[in-house]
Amino acid sequence: MNIINLALKEMKRDFRDLRTLIFLLAFPIVLMLILGTALSSDFNTTTEVVDIPVLYKDSANQSVSQAFQTFTEGLSDSGVHFKKATETMDGKKAVKENKYGAYIEVTNSQIKMYESNKNSIEGSVIEGMLSAFVDKYNMISTVAKVSPNALSKVTPNSGEANFIKETGLHSLKKPGAMDYYAITMTTMIALFGAMSASYLIRGERIIGTATRLVVAPISKAEIFIGKIFGGVLTSVLCTLIVVLFSKYVFKANWGEHLGIVFFVLITEIVLAISFGLGMSYMTKTSGASQAIIMVVIQLAAFFGGAYFQVEDGGGLMNNVMQLSPLHWANHAITQVIYSDNMTPAIHAAFLNLGISVVFLLIAIISMGRREGL
Amino acid sequence: MKVLEMKHLTRKFGDFIAVDNVTLAIDEGEIFGFLGTNGAGKSTTINMIAGLLHHTKGEIRILGKDVTKNKKFAKSHIGMVPQDIAIYEDLTAYENIQFFAGLYGLRGQKLKEQVEEALKFVGLSDKAKSFPKTFSGGMKRRLNIACAIAHRPKLIIMDEPTVGIDPQSRNYILSSVRKLNEMGCTIIYTSHYMEEVEEICSRIAIIDHGKIIAEGTKEQLKAIITNTKDIWIGINSTDTLDLSQLKLINGVKEVKVEEDVIKINSSADVNNLNTIIQYFIAAGIEIRTVEEQAPNLDTVFLTLTGRNLRD
Ligand SMILES: Nc1ncnc2c1ncn2[C@@H]1O[C@H](COP(=O)(O)OP(=O)(O)OP(=O)(O)O)[C@@H](O)[C@H]1O
Ligand SMILES: [Mg+2]
Repeated sequence: MNIINLALKEMKRDFRDLRTLIFLLAFPIVLMLILGTALSSDFNTTTEVVDIPVLYKDSANQSVSQAFQTFTEGLSDSGVHFKKATETMDGKKAVKENKYGAYIEVTNSQIKMYESNKNSIEGSVIEGMLSAFVDKYNMISTVAKVSPNALSKVTPNSGEANFIKETGLHSLKKPGAMDYYAITMTTMIALFGAMSASYLIRGERIIGTATRLVVAPISKAEIFIGKIFGGVLTSVLCTLIVVLFSKYVFKANWGEHLGIVFFVLITEIVLAISFGLGMSYMTKTSGASQAIIMVVIQLAAFFGGAYFQVEDGGGLMNNVMQLSPLHWANHAITQVIYSDNMTPAIHAAFLNLGISVVFLLIAIISMGRREGL
Repeated sequence: MKVLEMKHLTRKFGDFIAVDNVTLAIDEGEIFGFLGTNGAGKSTTINMIAGLLHHTKGEIRILGKDVTKNKKFAKSHIGMVPQDIAIYEDLTAYENIQFFAGLYGLRGQKLKEQVEEALKFVGLSDKAKSFPKTFSGGMKRRLNIACAIAHRPKLIIMDEPTVGIDPQSRNYILSSVRKLNEMGCTIIYTSHYMEEVEEICSRIAIIDHGKIIAEGTKEQLKAIITNTKDIWIGINSTDTLDLSQLKLINGVKEVKVEEDVIKINSSADVNNLNTIIQYFIAAGIEIRTVEEQAPNLDTVFLTLTGRNLRD
């Protein structure tokens, strides 16, 4: 009950704060509008341009082989061109060298797909198409990423994870400018929750109300949970408004699985709040924590592709990108929307929550050591 | 019943002893005053009672129960008015009191009634829906008090509740302290203003360098220093006055001249008023007024600590 009391108080104060409304609502919507319309020429949404050469090796029995043949022929109109590999060809190598968008091995019970790391949209398109085929013939498909700069070995994305595609064919969609910025601005704004979170408890100390909270017959744990709960709820509500606004007013594509998208966003908000709170306990002044948070968010935004698409070109850039929480959130959400692929979403959620736990522990331990909050 | 007992209460900050072996008991129905200069240890003592600071040594009991073992119980019976105003500027007066009283478990109709009562008590009923940013300093101080009393605590601790406010708000606060006391609340009151403490407190402790150096009712405290008395004699002209002669009179310790008033400090147990007056008559000096000054708390404080309460 006290927790709810504290959370409601937090939200009431947040929504009365002009800064919250500007930062978490107006700012993302305006940016979406500006970036989404001004940069729309940088995005290709038409499907005709998709021209993907795909190499495949077929060692399946006749019925599967025939079915696959029919499948590939049916797709030739869509711009995906299948070419059968000769016995001596090294398909993986061909993909690495970017001669083909993907290399597929078909056996009796399994389809293995190696895709180039470079262009995830091509890969997604083929994955999406294959999933329909796999579904129909009840096969197991494996997707592995072939990194173009690691020539000697195949580097699968996450081991050679086997997963069964459950969904049908949604293939030839690509995000337009508005679709793209709707996602990246939303994830960026979710991260901005760290700013207000750095004031969540420090703010009470600054205005003296921490005294009142501590003398009240409630535990520090209740205060802690209540405040975080309030902060997260404010952020979630703002994010929900932004998503719905972009969906219905800007007609941005949020896909068919809004629930999963939201789940990813909520874990990202939890990450942001925990990060902000942890920072406030790791720094001496509010100025210091604010500066650090601002720098982290801006870097994350830059490398996560918030303002413009970053090419996954491999090398150092690639490694830095992987460190941006916005990269993994944006990637996860894009995969959910455009490839019906839930795996990156689950990875992102676990990563977000795992890091949150670390920051929360820092805050809890520091708070436990203090007299007061 | 003892509302509060402190035994050998000590608090150190590093090597610095802020509160030193304080033993005190406060009965139900008292208004207990804490007097001390800046940094004497008043807030530290109060903050330990309210559960804001741990104590290094000793024991605190609220309504007979040890606070370290009965935190929730102790806290729920205390109302704390912090030295610095502690309210949310972006919540209305009503919402502020409602939120803090809610932390003490009040809900629904009861919460509503007690919030309204607290607002009325500090005279802010007509400001219930206003935000504190529009309030004067005195009004904020009053809201600061209201937030601490809505849950009807048995013990109210006020840390300098009248600092920096207009006389009108101060009078309002002093009379509400008395009213709270009449309603059955026990009150601990710290102040830099001697006249406030003298006016409302039933018992007073003087704290200096973390130690209680005197404790008792006003009369008891004054009795500590009644070994001297002050005699003030107003005269018309000081031209023919010979101070050295006055000082020879039995019992007289010190003589000062302030404009046309002669201030004589003398032992209390020597009856020398007649001799003093006779000296003036003999010297042909016309006496306008004679006053024997009763000792006040200022002189008590000065005598005990060697300092004025407010420097
Ligand atoms: N957190 C702290 N760390 C170190 N020293 C402290 C701390 N809090 C108080 N002190 C010291 O303890 C002493 C007592 O402080 P306290 O605030 O109790 O005084 P006070 O009597 O309330 O004074 P004032 O009238 O100025 O409010 C002071 O010398 C102060 O500097
Ligand atoms: Mg103080």
